[in-house]
Amino acid sequence: MIRFENVGLAYGNEPEVLKNLSFSIKPGSFHFLTGPSGAGKTSLLRLFLLSLRPTTGKITMFGEKVSRLNQDRLLQLRRHIGIVFQEFRLLDHLTTFENVALPLRVLGQSESEYASNVKELLEWVGLGERIDAHPPLLSGGEKQRAAIARAVIGRPDILLADEPTGNVDPELAERLLHLFAELNRMGTTIIIATHELPLLDKFKYPRMQLSNGRLKIDGS
Amino acid sequence: MLLITIMTFLSGVTLGAVVLVQKSAIAWSSEVGREVTIQIRPIEGEVMQSNVRTAITLANSAAGVSKAFALSLDESEELLIPWLGEGLDLSALPVPRLIIVELDRADAQDIAQLKASIETIAGASLNTHAAWRQQLNTMAGTFVISGLLVLFLIASATVLAIIFATRGTMSSNRAIVDVLHFIGASNSFIAGEFQGRFLRIGLRGSIAGAVASLLFFFGAGIAVSSILPDQSGAQLGALFGTFSLGFEGIIAVSLLVPAISALTAVTSRLTVQSFLRNTS
Repeated sequence: MIRFENVGLAYGNEPEVLKNLSFSIKPGSFHFLTGPSGAGKTSLLRLFLLSLRPTTGKITMFGEKVSRLNQDRLLQLRRHIGIVFQEFRLLDHLTTFENVALPLRVLGQSESEYASNVKELLEWVGLGERIDAHPPLLSGGEKQRAAIARAVIGRPDILLADEPTGNVDPELAERLLHLFAELNRMGTTIIIATHELPLLDKFKYPRMQLSNGRLKIDGS
Repeated sequence: MLLITIMTFLSGVTLGAVVLVQKSAIAWSSEVGREVTIQIRPIEGEVMQSNVRTAITLANSAAGVSKAFALSLDESEELLIPWLGEGLDLSALPVPRLIIVELDRADAQDIAQLKASIETIAGASLNTHAAWRQQLNTMAGTFVISGLLVLFLIASATVLAIIFATRGTMSSNRAIVDVLHFIGASNSFIAGEFQGRFLRIGLRGSIAGAVASLLFFFGAGIAVSSILPDQSGAQLGALFGTFSLGFEGIIAVSLLVPAISALTAVTSRLTVQSFLRNTS
């Protein structure tokens, strides 16, 4: 599904933040991406998300070489990827329902087509009573669940999450990870960037450890 | 939205003024064009009354003339009062007599033949008011072109203001644009979202501006008729028409709503697309 071959990434003339990465991610797998702050976790996630191109090396996603993709094809592939941000990034002028439905609107679906799916998903993540609320009125946990719902509503093949538990309390963080595990059991490939190691110990998934721009994969 | 409201109001007032002037010019020109005047100057040795009767007979027998009648001496002298003042004894002055000739239509009359016949009478001349009509049409045309130029300038200023507003909105909503890109939205989709938002702003603003400009003309009409004395109001009305826009004026001002809304939407869409092309 994802294949990196000798991938390096540098911003402008700065030293490389990612160095000579070679690995592959299989469909339906679950990985934690760990490492200290500044190790390059977010940069690696942005490569997965196709919002950056590598400085060196080759990335293959869904069987296609990323360097050869034009803008339209990049957008099409990006629709197979869901993303959850640490800071949620919900759109404040839209309701919870509208935020979650956004990826389906991008695909050109009408409200009558997606309304029941969105409501069902919001019920599943425990936001059934909050569908008309705007993000500023949601708690941190509610915002994160809405962000997860938005990431998975389009049934992506890969779900990326950047520190999804960084802004919630430990109890909710564990519940969120169970939610990701449930999504993984349903077939979604999941990569979660986090540095909360004690929490990870409760889940037996392989870890991709980044340090000084180099990657080591444990437990696969 | 306030900017769109103000621009629509200015456009509405300008367009309304253009419509008013054009309506008045057409009405005045048409009225003047349906009438010609025969003037008979007193000439020694000529019997004025006889010449007047001859001129009326000639006029009535001409094709396209519906009615010809002479103004009485008193009526002719009344026409001089605005120029010479009241209370003067005009009996000593050689006041010419005027014959009003009303035509069936403003065009297609054989005025040249009538003019030739009339000029056979000593001291008689026929005035078609063509010079006045020409001047009036030129003045009205100049006003209309000036009005359209002002409208063009207002539209240009509106476009520039929308471009700057859209760029500002894009810059301050960069995070939203990023999120939309991350979930796979194309530039076209993002431009469509901004277009929809600006279309709603444009609609609300232009409706408010158009209503305000219609109220302005309504209020101005009431003010003119209540502030000015009847005679002055009538004279002002005769020269410049009334402040009533009429059906076509209201339609013209109302059409500003879809026009300015569309201008707002299209400008914002093109600006967003250009912004995204330059930043992606």
